[in-house]
Amino acid sequence: MFKRFDQARPFVTLLIVVVAWLLVPTTLKTFARASFFELTAPVTVAADYARVLREYWSLRLHSQDELIQAGRDLARLNASFEFGVQQNSELMAEIARLESLLRLPSFHDYRYEHARVARRDFSGWWQRIVIRKGRNFGIPIGAPVIFSGGVVGRVTEVHASTAVVELMSSPNVRLAGVVEGDALGRPMSFQGGVNATLAPPTGVVEFVPLDVHAPRKLVTSGFGGVFPPGLTLGMIVRAEMGSDGLFNSGEVKLDERLGSLTEVTVLVPLGQQEAVSDKR
Amino acid sequence: MRRTLLLFATLVVLWTIVAQLNHELAGRRVYLFAGALFVAYAALTQPRRAGLFASLLGGILCDANSAVAFGTHTLLFAVAHVTVFQVRDRVPRDDNISAIIVVLLTNLALFLVFSFSQIHRSPAPAAVWPRLIADLVCSQLFLVLVTPWFFALQARTLALGRVLRDDPA
Repeated sequence: MFKRFDQARPFVTLLIVVVAWLLVPTTLKTFARASFFELTAPVTVAADYARVLREYWSLRLHSQDELIQAGRDLARLNASFEFGVQQNSELMAEIARLESLLRLPSFHDYRYEHARVARRDFSGWWQRIVIRKGRNFGIPIGAPVIFSGGVVGRVTEVHASTAVVELMSSPNVRLAGVVEGDALGRPMSFQGGVNATLAPPTGVVEFVPLDVHAPRKLVTSGFGGVFPPGLTLGMIVRAEMGSDGLFNSGEVKLDERLGSLTEVTVLVPLGQQEAVSDKR
Repeated sequence: MRRTLLLFATLVVLWTIVAQLNHELAGRRVYLFAGALFVAYAALTQPRRAGLFASLLGGILCDANSAVAFGTHTLLFAVAHVTVFQVRDRVPRDDNISAIIVVLLTNLALFLVFSFSQIHRSPAPAAVWPRLIADLVCSQLFLVLVTPWFFALQARTLALGRVLRDDPA
């Protein structure tokens, strides 16, 4: 009898652990999660600093000729960007004038917070990145994150000096998109999808109107107020009749650079920031 | 207590290495899952309570850094720990090959259970399996290479901390 109990003792311990875990209050679990994340955050950030240092020393190996050439290329790029900035300010002024004339509600204003990617975590179950800015830079939960190729994802966790961004390729992310140039602005549902090995990330799109055929560019709709409209989501590469016969469903090819991001930009809504500072 | 903390310190090292490898492999859409290594040494060689606590702490560490319900890794690691602990008298514990086999089998079981618990989120669950199988193969290869080193690291850490291997905690 005692021998049999002795054999089952590990399972009794396991049962006690499971019951104890179920009885632990959610607050304590949340605290434990945050504490363990903060415990590993310095490791993540230190590893990224080491990576930056490695890049710096590898750049030091470039010859002066290469640097001169890179400087010349950058000067050309700067010239075209300066022209773009001038055009942008003119267009912004035009938008403001039209908004006041037509009494339209103005778009959300954002503060652009550039952040370095400290860790990429791309499994078959989820895709997320950890960035090197958090509460210390006023990053709010839910803020949209973008890069030069379009949407990166959404901030899901904010910690003291880091934040976690769920990527749009993750199955947990859903948002509304529209086909670029669609005059009617018909919304469709985008969800992160399958990320096959050694292949670009993909997503799925549902409720695609029957007259929309691949390939078409999918951009954010602006509905819901989280993402500004017109940001690139990806390219619809396949659209087939859905099971209901009313809409198409399809596959969206996302930017390949999502897997190798080093810098991203967090759009911090200004209204929200002001509300937070008012509360303080 | 010292035994548990020393084991946990080695698990933090393991987590860091795996996280950095996954960071570098992200561009190729390959992911290494080394859940069994968080459990195997403690379950095979350590006293029940101290080993289980170390595995639980390893689970919490993984939970805090993943997009899963908090407790998923912790409970899976606890179950794996107890199962391996139960069969440890029947395997040659000091043999590298048998340690690797235990790690591989445990990792396979953990990976499959974890996949079944997460796959419902995907819009096309069936299409995810090729990716998961590729990840599993890479993870198992990684474990074959790293298990002897990690077991040695844990043994050496305990020795440096003057903790005897089979002493009750």
